[in-house]
This record gives sequence, structure tokens and C-alpha cells, in this order.
Amino acid sequence: MKLALSLAVVLAALLAWEYGVLAAEMPEYLLPAPSVIFKKFWQTLPVQMEHLAVTAATTLAGLVMALVAGVALALVVTYVKPLQSVILPLFAAFNGIPKIAIAPLLVTWLGLGAEPKVLLAFLLALFPVFVNAATGLSEIQPDILDLARLFGGTELRIFWKVRLMNAVPYLSDAVKVAFPLALVGSIVGEFIGGNRGVGYLILSAQSNLDTPLVFASLLSITLFTSAGTSAVMLFEKLFLEWRPSRQR
Amino acid sequence: MPTAISVRSLQKTFARQIAIDGLSFEVDANEFVALVGPSGCGKSTTLRIVAGLERPSSGMVRASGETVDGPVRNAAMVFQAPVLLPWRRTLSNVLFAAEMRGKRPGAFRERAKELIVLTGLDGFEHNYPHELSGGMQQRVAICRALLLDPTLLLMDEPFGALDVMTREKMGFELQRIWSETKNTVLFVTHSITEAVLLSDKVIVMTPRPGRAKAVVPVDLARPRDVGTLKDPAFVELCAAVREAL
Ligand SMILES: Nc1ncnc2c1ncn2[C@@H]1O[C@H](COP(=O)(O)OP(=O)(O)OP(=O)(O)O)[C@@H](O)[C@H]1O
Ligand SMILES: [Mg+2]
Repeated sequence: MKLALSLAVVLAALLAWEYGVLAAEMPEYLLPAPSVIFKKFWQTLPVQMEHLAVTAATTLAGLVMALVAGVALALVVTYVKPLQSVILPLFAAFNGIPKIAIAPLLVTWLGLGAEPKVLLAFLLALFPVFVNAATGLSEIQPDILDLARLFGGTELRIFWKVRLMNAVPYLSDAVKVAFPLALVGSIVGEFIGGNRGVGYLILSAQSNLDTPLVFASLLSITLFTSAGTSAVMLFEKLFLEWRPSRQR
Repeated sequence: MPTAISVRSLQKTFARQIAIDGLSFEVDANEFVALVGPSGCGKSTTLRIVAGLERPSSGMVRASGETVDGPVRNAAMVFQAPVLLPWRRTLSNVLFAAEMRGKRPGAFRERAKELIVLTGLDGFEHNYPHELSGGMQQRVAICRALLLDPTLLLMDEPFGALDVMTREKMGFELQRIWSETKNTVLFVTHSITEAVLLSDKVIVMTPRPGRAKAVVPVDLARPRDVGTLKDPAFVELCAAVREAL
């Protein structure tokens, strides 16, 4: 029912767009009609998928690196309390730098290959992963930790069976934020240099005034983000049934 | 009888107040002792200190002859709130005790199931805590505490969230388990009847800052059952505890 309703809304919007463009005799390079976009998308599908694969690989590489590094840093902050006062302000300062602004610098240092793009995706995704992981590892009802210790729990057992489990939903939330950020990192990286990826495709289409191709590329990206969102939702459905937010 | 717990001149000060001031009492091995007192007098704090989860400000606490300076070995606790892991289902929450002790949970599965049946939770083995009522959650916590046959069982109002009938039944069930395993039980309750019905002696605490005001020995025959409630000696003991409070 809900699905049918949203489909109807989308369909109505597309129809309005299609006939609005037609009625206003809008030139194609300003705003192409949906039918034109879909046709373009279909015609350029192999190229689209080739570039999308590059962007997807960059994004996922950056995201995975951010997950590993973010959780590792969170572990340090959780277990080595003295380092907490060193790392946290540094991180806050680091987060104050707009990472997009240093993208050209990364290209200067790392060239036109995949490296600056992955790094940019990583840098953008790192902060939310770190913050959520640190919260998830430490925000545990003190009574639970007391009880675990009373039963003879060692720090290692408590880590695997309490802290890490407690952090899982926080990490899943982190991915929801970090995934689109990593994607932004990849695309901006592709805008700035190189000749691969959806970002490059959009930029070159735009310079040829091939607006339908720009829109078709946006459609490719949307497919990728929907796949990512669905993956996270599936994970939550499978493993986070117990989540407090689902209570009552 | 060897002494299981010995508390001497215990004092506990928090930032804003003195919670316990000069509390002393002893619990013999295999003894079932009830701790009663007005709300805020330091009962939960006492249990936490005896378990080694909290440091006394001054005074001495010994468990099985050793000075307590960390979580006491072979002890288990039922907190005033259930304190379950929200991501674990009933059975797995009960088995958590074994896993923390470093035991293979498989070896305790049968025992865990027995306890679950005993506490009337059968059919709910695979529910998450948020799918259980407060009283059911508390019973899961009781199963978890009993799983490893602790030599020292600390219970903080374990039946507080239960209806009268279930509460009575659980009390007798606890009495049976205790008489079979012969562990030492320190039991906090707000119910005078429950305290007298289950225990060998009742320690009555003063209002905050808590001290032992009176110790009422309960020498009623065991096993005790619903009939005990009508025993004149029982009624008299209840009156004595009420008097002391
Ligand atoms: N962690 C804490 N920090 C500060 N004060 C505390 C802390 N824990 C307990 N207190 C204080 O110590 C006193 C005793 O608390 P405690 O929880 O032991 O009481 P209680 O006898 O268990 O009460 P109740 O019957 O209501 O459960 C209270 O005044 C409480 O405010
Ligand atoms: Mg209490």
C-alpha cells in the first residue's frame, strides 16, 4: 500500500516533468525529459557500468578503510584512557578541516590514479565511524560490566561478548552516514583529476553540453546508493532485531 | 559453621552523602540471610561492596575468610533491575554467566533449560528481553545467577517485579534450590513476610546512614511452605521485625 502510493507519486512527478518540458519547449541541454534520460541511460549502459564500477570500488575501499581505522582508533581511545585527551581534540580539529578543500592537494601529492580518490573517501568517512565506534564500545550500562566481571569475565571476553556486540548497531548507523560521504569523496576526487569514474563521466558530459548523459550518470549513482542503503537495511533486519528503537 | 561473609564497621561515603556508617554483620556458610531496611538506607550499596564491585570508604569486608578487594569468586548477583543483554535471547542471556566464566555454554545448556522451566519461563527461551515483561526479565536474571551454582548468592529485591502468587512460588523455589545446593544467600527485600519466611536470620538496618539496628534469628522448621504463614511463631517473628524497623 505504502509502496504503491510512493510509486504513484514518482510516476506522477515523472509525467509532469515529461509534459512540462514538452509544453515549455525546453532545450534538451537545459533540462532533458525523463524519456530522453532513460533512453540515454540505456544506450550508454556499458559505459555507465564501467565507470560506476570504478566509483563503487573507490567508495567501498574508502569505507572499509574507514571502518578498520575508525574502530582501531576507537579501541585505543576506549582502552588507553590517557590517550583519550590527546586523540579527541586532535580529531575534533581534524574534523574542522573541510576535506573537500584539500582534494586538489591530494591530487598534487598522489597523482591522477585511484589513490587520492580512495584517500578522500576514507577521510570523509573516518569521522562518523570513529565517533560511533567509540560511543558503542564505551556506552554500556555499568551494571552489565560489573555483572560480567563478577561472573569472572576477563577484559578479552568482555570485549568480544559485550563491548563489540554493543557497538554493532552504532556501526550500522555509522555506515548509513559514512557511505554517502565516501561516495562524495570519490566523485569529488574524480571531478578533480583522472579519466575514470562517474564523476569523470559527469564532468566530460557537461563540457560537451550532453545534459542527458549527466542525468543518466546521476541515475547510475542513485542505483548504487540504493543498493548500499538496501544492504544496510537487510543487515539491520537480519542482525538488529533486538534494537531498542524497535521496542514497542 | 565457618563464616561466609563478615562485615565490620563498614562505612561508605558518596560525594554528597554518607550512605552507610558503621555497619557490621556476619553471615555463616550455608546460611540464608535477609537484609531489610527503609529505602535509601544502603542495602544495594552493601551488596555491591560484599560482591567486591564497590570499595568501602572504611571498614572491613571478608568473604570466605579473604579480604574482598575485587569481584568475589564464585559469587553471583541479581541486581534490583534485571540488567540483561538486549541483543541476547532468554536462553543465551542465562548462558552469559558460563561464557564469562570461560566455560563452554553447550555444557550448561541443559541446566539453563531446567532453570528456565523452574522459573516458569518455558516457551520464552527465544525471546529478546524487550519482548518480556519486567517480572519475566527479572526471572531471567535469577536463572543467570543460579546457573553456575554460586557459593555466594547476592540478591537485591529479586522478586520485586512479581505478582504475589508468582513471588510466593519463586520464594519457595529459591528455598528448595538453596537447600539442595547449600550455598550462602544474602537477600534484600522490602517484604517482612518474605524475609521471615525464607531466611535463617533477618538483619534490620536503620535509615540512612545505614547500620545494623537489630538481628532477628528465625528458627522455624524447614522446609517452610504456605502453612508456615499461619504458624503463630512466624507471625510473632514478623511482628518482631516490624517492631525493629
Ligand atoms: N553511585 C552512587 N553515587 C552517589 N550516591 C549513591 C550511589 N549509590 C547509592 N548512593 C546513595 O547511597 C544511599 C544508599 O543507596 P542504596 O541504593 O544502597 O539504597 P537501598 O537501601 O538499596 O535503597 P532501595 O531500597 O530504595 O533500593 C542513597 O542515599 C543513594 O542516594
Ligand atoms: Mg536498593
